[in-house]
Amino acid sequence: MSHRRSWWKTGIGLVLTAVMLFPVYWMINVSFTKTSDLRDSPPNLFPFAPTLDGYTAVLSQQLPYLGTSLLIGLGTVLVTLVISAPAGYALAKLRLRGAAPLTFILLVAQMIPGVVMAMGFYAIYLNSGLLNTVGGLILADSTIAVPFGVLLFTAFMSGIPNELIQAATVDGAGPWRTFRSIILPVSRNSAITVSLFAFLWAWSDFIFASTLSRSGQFLPITLGIYKYIGNNTSQWNAIMATAVVASIPAAILLIVAQRYVAAGVTAGAVKD
Amino acid sequence: MTTLPVRVGAARPDAGGAVGTPAPLPPKQRSRRTSFGTNQWVALAFVAPLIAYLVIFYAFPLYRNIELSLHDYTPRAFVQGNAAFVGIENYVAVFGSKTFPKALANTALFTIVSIAFQFGIGLILAVFFRNNFRLNGVLRGLFLVPWLLPLIVSASTWSSMMNSDNGVINSALAVIGVAPVNWLTSPDLVLASVIIANIWLGIPFNLVVLYSGLQNIPEDLYEAASLDGANAWQKFWRITFPLLRPVSLITILLGLIYTLKVVDIIWIMTAGGPGDSSTTLATWSYREAFGTGNPDFSPAAAVGNVLILIALIFGFIYLRIQNRTEK
Amino acid sequence: MTMKFVRSTMAVAGVATLALAMVGCSAAGGASSSAGSTEYTVWDPYPQHDASSDWAKRIDACGVDAGVTIKRTAYDSQSLTNQSLLAAQEGTAADVVLLDNPAVTTLADTGALNDMDSIGLDTSAIDPNLLGAGVLDGKTYGVPVGANTLALYYNKDILDAAGVDPATVKDWATLTAALQKVSTNGHKGITFAGFASEEGTFQFLPFFWGAGANLNKLDSTQAVSALTLWTDWVNQGLAPNSVITNSQNTTWEEFLTGDFGFVVNGTWQVNSASKAAFKTGYITIPAEAGGAAPAPTGGEFMVIPTQKDTARYDVSKKIVECMSTTAGQVKTADTFAYYIPATSAGQSALLVEHPELSVWVDAVKAAKGRTSDNLGANYPKISEQVYTAVQNALSGAMTPAEALKEAQAAAAAATTK
Repeated sequence: MSHRRSWWKTGIGLVLTAVMLFPVYWMINVSFTKTSDLRDSPPNLFPFAPTLDGYTAVLSQQLPYLGTSLLIGLGTVLVTLVISAPAGYALAKLRLRGAAPLTFILLVAQMIPGVVMAMGFYAIYLNSGLLNTVGGLILADSTIAVPFGVLLFTAFMSGIPNELIQAATVDGAGPWRTFRSIILPVSRNSAITVSLFAFLWAWSDFIFASTLSRSGQFLPITLGIYKYIGNNTSQWNAIMATAVVASIPAAILLIVAQRYVAAGVTAGAVKD
Repeated sequence: MTTLPVRVGAARPDAGGAVGTPAPLPPKQRSRRTSFGTNQWVALAFVAPLIAYLVIFYAFPLYRNIELSLHDYTPRAFVQGNAAFVGIENYVAVFGSKTFPKALANTALFTIVSIAFQFGIGLILAVFFRNNFRLNGVLRGLFLVPWLLPLIVSASTWSSMMNSDNGVINSALAVIGVAPVNWLTSPDLVLASVIIANIWLGIPFNLVVLYSGLQNIPEDLYEAASLDGANAWQKFWRITFPLLRPVSLITILLGLIYTLKVVDIIWIMTAGGPGDSSTTLATWSYREAFGTGNPDFSPAAAVGNVLILIALIFGFIYLRIQNRTEK
Repeated sequence: MTMKFVRSTMAVAGVATLALAMVGCSAAGGASSSAGSTEYTVWDPYPQHDASSDWAKRIDACGVDAGVTIKRTAYDSQSLTNQSLLAAQEGTAADVVLLDNPAVTTLADTGALNDMDSIGLDTSAIDPNLLGAGVLDGKTYGVPVGANTLALYYNKDILDAAGVDPATVKDWATLTAALQKVSTNGHKGITFAGFASEEGTFQFLPFFWGAGANLNKLDSTQAVSALTLWTDWVNQGLAPNSVITNSQNTTWEEFLTGDFGFVVNGTWQVNSASKAAFKTGYITIPAEAGGAAPAPTGGEFMVIPTQKDTARYDVSKKIVECMSTTAGQVKTADTFAYYIPATSAGQSALLVEHPELSVWVDAVKAAKGRTSDNLGANYPKISEQVYTAVQNALSGAMTPAEALKEAQAAAAAATTK
């Protein structure tokens, strides 16, 4: 095909992408706008007199929240992997009796609205002292990722040739060693995908954070932002600066692991 | 492309049971041959953490939720632990509430309109990105951005853009001579506004899935059609659309289940207001339980359970369709 | 094989237990206070004051006076209400809590608070209108740490330009006339917070009460007239559409842009107002027919939650007393810049130091507790209906009369339960 045509399509693609990403651009633009210019009408399309006030505010107020979010994200990844990888193996390769109903339950589990889970957790955490703790939030956040993780691991591990497992058994490896030294290394990609999603979901969770961890010392970044909005301030530059900072992990993951993201979405959505 | 954990699209029995397959019949023929001492106890041991987890973190919260909805948990009852059993009273109150028909209608509109546009736009974009052009991969990657951002980030961005007095959207409208629109404060518009934001959020997901689905349609079908003199439109309707059907159905149903649950975006943009104008079942439940200074867990739990029932119905439809496509 | 199986089972189970144990560890850290301990816990809603702040030092000093050490934890206001409720259920309540005043009766109703009589704390010096928020069924459950309320701030530059003399604003008619003058002169008249939350109710109440309405009957003609006033302002462009989503902070930020003639806001903005880029002043919010409208009181109460170990109450009482002496109240007012003392002695002492606050002292004296009229624990439910009605009317979803009628029906249903 001629080059001219392909450039024409690139043009359309650029326009579409620009339209799609305008809100993201706007977020960045506002984050650099001076408070005094925020209420200008019409608003400035470009921060001609940029300020770093928003970012200063983030760095001085939001850093602990970012730390908490990081901790929660990593904790959620850990819990999710620890629970879902062995379960995926059992479902895929160990011919577990009752695998069908279990898979069905996992599917149904994904349909339960977050609010409902949050209320249940609230009632339970209230009595067990898990309210307002990082641990409590990790466990709650992991419920978003565990069913997905199990189903993804099951799908992937079913594709591992049985010969591999057989060979290990012949060499005298027990089920645990087989799992650890054969299955897990082979499943690296799906583990990355699961981790990535578990992390992103935990990082961006708002419902559990806002219900189970409203107060005090351990607030994740989503609540840091919400605090600004909740006070309903028009300090949009600080809000947006926080938003930009909060989006950094997503941006990094997008660059580093785009392949896994795409794989994860499709795996979550499309079944063979 | 290197290995994707899961293949997309056309049925590939050799890949074994996949994510979400209700009954991944134990990998057939081949695994039957191999007997490496599969012991149910070993299998159970591997799955035990999951089962314990499901019981503690799903079954128990769900049970507590049902319990909440059958009692009258006032703040006082919460402290004293003596909530009165009221049977289905909370459900009666929920169904009888003026908010109920509004929330139900809003939920339906929010879900259906969101999905229709997300899917439609996603499909158009997927078809577009199937073309070969420079920067294709980069631009497709950029399209993922909105989906990866924390929801609260997107929601606050949209609410700032839609601000009546100094939002960028109204300024743009002013340039072409349109009077300011009260996106987030007009009872007639506010639902449309949150739907717009939600559509924007859902496009990347639909694009990625549908694009992968398109990739699985063999190129030679199109070539053959070209030889037969089919134009682009005919190719879309005769080849793309029918072959994409299974993927589409599942994308839509999954979208339904996820959209039903949406709280964050609506809550952050409008808190369901003004009045009940943008209240859905999910935000209603959230508001009752956590949204005011006066937690009302019992009605909130009742609303939540109604929502579960609705989600379950779609869930079963989803399973049925999936079973059918698998056959 | 068996050995291997056992080991692998244990390994899997072990990992799971580890995960749970790890979580369990981080769960510790309530604020329970064991019997006989000389550490006393105080919770307050002032996270902006860290451990090195004057406020924290004052609390510590009161602990020293009472011969104990104090462990202070700060929560944000709404969390503190929930936290106190939960702690009451778990039996891990703090010894002294500074609670937002509308929450006091809700918590008292659960039986989680001691009444001041039984503790032996004398509350007779406190202005009855300020103490009102802590009274349920004739018993007093707390002591105000200070009080604040609402008034009308104005932008003097804008009023001068429009030829409005703030002294002529005596009732609603003159206020609206002033807004119209400001508006025809090219500025925006007024901004306020109609946000769907307690703040919305808080801001609406001076108008609601100023019309002579009562929270026990939300759909009275007086109530309708108050809501109509607000709605007309928005419809006539005297107030911006954004008031529907404005919080008190937002309205203040709007006011600081120098674009608004008036703003409804509180004592706590006094310092900020004096630093504005234009000249400011404030007047009390007028009632419909003239005179000062009763504005709602804001501010925290010191409460003493019930404990298993009743021997602790003596020290808790000393701590509360230490904070509520005349000198203590003035210190609190200084520390926060926005708390007017709750006793006449304290108010006089404050005025000696800060004569410019006299308008605010008067406003606080005229103010009314939100939970007074014996609404008690019903107040939050009624308030929710009030701000919902405000939302419905301002957004044009309903007329003020319809909105309030629905609110009354909903409030009646919620409170009779």
